[in-house]
Amino acid sequence: MKLRSFTALLLILTLALGLTALAAQFDAAQTITVVSREEGSGTRGAFVELTGVLAKDAAGKEKDNTYSEAIISNGTNLVLTTVADNQAGIGYASLSSVMHNDTVKALKVEGVEASTENILNGTYKIARPFNVVTKGELTDELAIDFMAFVMSKEGQAIVSEDGLVSGATDETPSYEAANKSGSLTVGGSTSVAPVMELLAEAYMELNPEAKIEVQSTGSSAGVTGALDGTYGIGMASRLLKDSEVEKGAQPIVIGTDGIAVVVNLANPVEDITVEQVRQVFTGEVTTWDALSK
Amino acid sequence: MQHRKNVSEGLMRGLFLASACVCIFAVGVICYFLFANGLPFFAEYSVWDFITGTEWAPTRGIFGILPMIVGSFLVTFGALLLGAPIGVLTAILMARFAAKPVVKIMKPAIALLAGIPSVVYGFFGLKLLVPFTRNTLGGNGLSMFVASILLAIMILPTIIQTSEAAINAVPNSYYEGSLAMGATHESSVFRAIVPAAKSGIVSGIVLGIGRAIGETTAILMVAGNQARMPTGILSGVRTLTVNVLLEMGYAADLHRESLIATGVVLFVIVMAINFLFSFINRRRVMQ
Repeated sequence: MKLRSFTALLLILTLALGLTALAAQFDAAQTITVVSREEGSGTRGAFVELTGVLAKDAAGKEKDNTYSEAIISNGTNLVLTTVADNQAGIGYASLSSVMHNDTVKALKVEGVEASTENILNGTYKIARPFNVVTKGELTDELAIDFMAFVMSKEGQAIVSEDGLVSGATDETPSYEAANKSGSLTVGGSTSVAPVMELLAEAYMELNPEAKIEVQSTGSSAGVTGALDGTYGIGMASRLLKDSEVEKGAQPIVIGTDGIAVVVNLANPVEDITVEQVRQVFTGEVTTWDALSK
Repeated sequence: MQHRKNVSEGLMRGLFLASACVCIFAVGVICYFLFANGLPFFAEYSVWDFITGTEWAPTRGIFGILPMIVGSFLVTFGALLLGAPIGVLTAILMARFAAKPVVKIMKPAIALLAGIPSVVYGFFGLKLLVPFTRNTLGGNGLSMFVASILLAIMILPTIIQTSEAAINAVPNSYYEGSLAMGATHESSVFRAIVPAAKSGIVSGIVLGIGRAIGETTAILMVAGNQARMPTGILSGVRTLTVNVLLEMGYAADLHRESLIATGVVLFVIVMAINFLFSFINRRRVMQ
């Protein structure tokens, strides 16, 4: 009796798997599943501005016209997972988090591949700055030394290895370890955190006595934390608001990030224009075959 | 000797009192924090526009949370529709019908269900229920439907455990009396025991509502989170709790305050539900 119900369960599972396999053929007539980020997210702010989803309305006020049916995910990983799991999905994420991810496909924008070189030479259209935020001038010795490392030849090498575009030139000085000790908390943007973690690891290898903790909490939390002293250094992947600058927040650009438009691996689309991205993310175009025309 | 006993007794009394106070103190501090941080928002934005507005565009200064209020209620209602009957019937089965060895397996299984972290439920929903719904029912899968199913599973342990305790607390004489009148086992359970345990079962369901309306992480992962009026069972929805968690990381200024105000509204709703049910319960007891 028990064996029979077990067999039945197996059968159902096999059927379900079979259904999934059947769906593997890409169906261009299906509705596009638009995946966006939450309002206030640095990536969304940069994306809507760079693609024209953010536009002036009749009254001349700027309006984020993101499609009301768009799925809202509150993190890069959730966006990537959602797109990787859904054939009809399209989303966006910082290039650095997509580069080492083979579960989704980054589209070419206006025929230009999303790559470091193309952001540097300005041909890739969707890019934004990564900031660290301090309250006035840094006073903590460890923080000053860490920033010196981040902006040095070695630090900027890590930044560009991670897919960001570095402002470093041949004149950028090398870093010399000063054997600093103590502890420092760097917190903020979830987009900046991964590269900051790499920087912190490299720094701690050179300064074994120092302890640098990276917390990923979001751009606003990063700025607030830098201002109230929770973080020695904050991180933000958007421009600072006037209210934040008035309170003494100072941004330093450590690199420039491209935003990649990603689709499911089963999707045959390879190339997209900025205008098409705008149409998809405002809901003007809702099926894949309507897009290709 | 007598003196020392008095001292230790006094000390212990103080310790117990202090322990009790921690709980009340925590509730007090949370209330104070929530209202002190949330109410200033209403000085800048009308309460009426906030709870009846249908548009949520924080970056443009438009804060209408009616879609989230409706969303919270719909998702919770869906969860109850599924979870309450399953939970209550399971409790009746465990208390009065199932054989001992079966109960021995079910009890720890249900306790385990209660101990699973909500992010694991969310992952289960995202990887199994969402694709299944997409492939069988259509839509993109991230929907009110999946959110309700997931919540129904999550509130099961609460409903089952409370209801079972209530049913077991009914004196056996009710059952025996009913049998003596010639009733069958089934009708004794459903006509004598379950009605006697009604208030316990209802409070189990209310606890379930509380859990459902307050759940966040799992819902955020499977509900799609669109901040517009719910359009259908297979389309997405955003609840009050999700609204707070979703946008807290990046919110600044008035936007941030609006999220705390969302928490205030949620808090008031949960309190209202609790008061309503304790009022109903008290009236029943008085009758």
